[in-house]
Amino acid sequence: MSGVHVPVLGPVARHDLDEVAAPGTDPELLLALVTCAAGHGPGPGALRRRARELPTAALGEDRGIDPRPTLRAVLGPSGSPDAVAVPLAVAGTDAVATDARRGIADALARWAALGVRAAVVGDPAYPARLAAGWPDVAAPLFVAWRGVPPAEAGASVAIVGARAASGYGRAIAAWLAEAVADAGARVVSGGAVGIDAAAHEAALELPGGTTVVLGCGHAVPYPREHARVGGLFERVLDHGGTVLSELLPMTAPRPAVVRTRNRVLAGLADVVVVVEGGARSGALLTAGAAAELDRTLLAVPGDVRAPGSAAPHLLLAEGAAPCTGPADVLAALGPRGTPPGAGSAGRPGPPRDPTPVTAASLLPDAARTVLADAWPRPVLLESLAERSGLPVATLLAAVARARAAGEVLAGPDGLHLSRGPVGR
Amino acid sequence: MSVRTGDAGSGVVGAIALVGLEAHPVRVECVRSPGLPALRLVGLPDAAVREAADRVRTAVVRSDLVWPRDRVVVNLAPADLPKVGSGFDLPLALSVLAASGQLPHRALDGTVAIGEVGLDGRVRGVAGTLPMALGARRHGAVRVLVAPERVREAALVEGLEVVAVADLAEAVAVLAGRRPARAHPEGVTSGIGSAPGRGAGVTGGGGLGTGHRAGGGDGGDLADVRGQFVARRALELAAAGDHHLLLVGPPGCGKTMLARRLHGVLPDLGPEMALEVLAIHSLAGEPVDASAATRRPPLREPHHGVSLAGLVGGGSGVPRPGEVSLAHRGVLLLDELLETPRHVLDALRQPLERGEVVLTRSSARVAYPARVQLVAATNPCPCGLLGHPTRACTCPPDRVARYRARLSGPLVDRIDLAVELAPLTRRELEVRAPGEATTTVAARVAAARALAAARWGPGTTNRDVGVARLRADAGGRMVERLAGAVERLGGSARAFERALRVARSAADLDGAERVAAEHVDEALGLSATLAR
Repeated sequence: MSGVHVPVLGPVARHDLDEVAAPGTDPELLLALVTCAAGHGPGPGALRRRARELPTAALGEDRGIDPRPTLRAVLGPSGSPDAVAVPLAVAGTDAVATDARRGIADALARWAALGVRAAVVGDPAYPARLAAGWPDVAAPLFVAWRGVPPAEAGASVAIVGARAASGYGRAIAAWLAEAVADAGARVVSGGAVGIDAAAHEAALELPGGTTVVLGCGHAVPYPREHARVGGLFERVLDHGGTVLSELLPMTAPRPAVVRTRNRVLAGLADVVVVVEGGARSGALLTAGAAAELDRTLLAVPGDVRAPGSAAPHLLLAEGAAPCTGPADVLAALGPRGTPPGAGSAGRPGPPRDPTPVTAASLLPDAARTVLADAWPRPVLLESLAERSGLPVATLLAAVARARAAGEVLAGPDGLHLSRGPVGR
Repeated sequence: MSVRTGDAGSGVVGAIALVGLEAHPVRVECVRSPGLPALRLVGLPDAAVREAADRVRTAVVRSDLVWPRDRVVVNLAPADLPKVGSGFDLPLALSVLAASGQLPHRALDGTVAIGEVGLDGRVRGVAGTLPMALGARRHGAVRVLVAPERVREAALVEGLEVVAVADLAEAVAVLAGRRPARAHPEGVTSGIGSAPGRGAGVTGGGGLGTGHRAGGGDGGDLADVRGQFVARRALELAAAGDHHLLLVGPPGCGKTMLARRLHGVLPDLGPEMALEVLAIHSLAGEPVDASAATRRPPLREPHHGVSLAGLVGGGSGVPRPGEVSLAHRGVLLLDELLETPRHVLDALRQPLERGEVVLTRSSARVAYPARVQLVAATNPCPCGLLGHPTRACTCPPDRVARYRARLSGPLVDRIDLAVELAPLTRRELEVRAPGEATTTVAARVAAARALAAARWGPGTTNRDVGVARLRADAGGRMVERLAGAVERLGGSARAFERALRVARSAADLDGAERVAAEHVDEALGLSATLAR
């Protein structure tokens, strides 16, 4: 077993490395792991295997408490009692080494340019929940984040679901996320459109805040509408949230990569809620990881005819707890998640704003009644026209006003009230 | 056209050469001179015109007429104009007969002859007779000779004597005054029908009928469409403002049905416009049967596999009009819009912007009118099931995003009205009440069009009026209201302009002089059913 050949960095890259390494993180160890991730050393699986095979004697009592000495041992040149000795760096001079050096320097530069910080498993800035159990559990060897360090997040709830979400799914995700963040707990979800986006949007301005776990590197603008200036990610960061990735900055969102991302999602959370997803949704993988990691798993029941109910119903059949409202989530979170006045937030209905919305409604009564009866399910504009009996021209005008005022939200499957009707 | 027969030994006949729709007068001059019997044709004839020499010579002999036994030179002047097709047979034959003294002097004054001649002397009609007859009148001719089957078509041109000749012998007899011109078939009168009226049925022929057939035109009646209230409203607005319309919906929700029915609620064309339309159809060789023709605007429905040349026009030599020109002053219906190859769609930009197609080939540069109302229909996603309440869409979200991104291309940006149809199944639709009939909607559309014409001037609609006039008409307060709402809903400058145009149409349908808040909001509501 030979050690990892870590490139000798130039002064600029060295500066970038020092900037990226979070407080309490050993830049040399981070560099060694980045080198491995770039394909110039053993993969994470191989490192875990080596770590498990490592004779206990080499590490003494530290084994299992702090992964860092173990990592040093498996990364360093082995076969001698000095195996754990730093420096790990072995200068390479051939073409491959030059290439590797360039690639790694580029990754560090991109991170530094984006203001990314990174920490190695076991570091103080690395979330302890995620690190727990390594090497027996597949935690990422390093995480890179923008915004608030992920280790500072307290109780966390992962709210996950499919990109192709229904209006119902998005409304529920927003409802749960709002209650969770309002109670001071962190909302964790992916960076995709659909359920993920709905959860972040609802929670990002509230005390708990949100953590976005990317399925790609920080420098990949995916999905485009979230990564753009003024997009979801920027707003999450502006409001004290975190955007996190366990990948090198230019890693593209391939399915295999997104799958390991789902482990991180579950690992960061205390409770995992699956809102919506098809029979082959990635949400099931997150649920699987949650079960493996012994996280509390909740699933939101849906319309039995809707394709997006397949994943939560499968999980319910397999023993997940049903999530019938924010109260279930907060209860699962335990005392840590109980907000000062939790009672009201747990009831279905508007979690924060108890003022009756009917008073200021911009919709004709006939239309509002139809939407209120259906809430939180969306109603097609077409059905609204039919059921309310209003002339289409009138209805279109009223809906336009209500949408501009935020009373009504529109999605591909129809319109729904942004807040539930009072007294339901 | 100052066509005068020449001296003895020569003959001149008027003819028309078409370059696209443009009619150019051609003098077919024949001169006999001593020499071995031969026919020489000069003046840029194409292959079909060169073949005329052989056809005409045989036809003359077989019609018991005499082919001159000396050298005959026929010139098609002006020589720099390309002459295409078989329509020069008849003038060529007549010029030879005039030069050989078998027709009296002056018999051909002011006459334009149009027709192909068979080996047996029979005269056949040619495509483009109507634009040729229109050109003949414009260039001063008073009489056209055409094949009997083209009489109705040529008679649409007012102020032109149309003489039907079945064969060469009849042509000579009529021109020499030995026989009266045959009576036209019953009902053929000069000019285009002048009393438009809905539901009048096809007139007995002659001119153009105005028959708004019961059932509302070719596309079926609107009463057949159940439900889809929102889309129906969009359709009415589109018809009132002459807006291009895009219908997005899953298969089976009735979008094609609706798209076809837009045609039915459009008003009849004025006589000049109707002639314009028929001229293009005549040129393209489409049947122009005046007795059945109405002043209904055309409806063209090319398949989404249509080629570039098929859609905008093309072909070798002088390019022929495509579907977009055949739909001139009418509706071009593109079903499965996003299945149509992008380069074909992009070719539609010029006609949609300028109302004409300019086709340039080595032999000619041709402009065909192509002022169409585009009605397009498409699925919401590649599999068609996106947003379906009970069936799963199998498209990955990024593929849907790419597909829908095509809904904001430069072509689709010109579509003022886009509406998403409800994903209702046939059975769900069946229980819904039938909607209003085409005639009811058409009456409202006609009233709205009249308001727009009075405001903008004849021929200008809410679709193509300048945006400055539109803003001035709406007034500062309404413009502000619209701009503010568009901004809140994340719309672009394009979205603002589209909504402004649609708001004007909503006001017109309301019979309102000024655009009111209600109209602006309705336009916003419609534009929001499909975020672009």
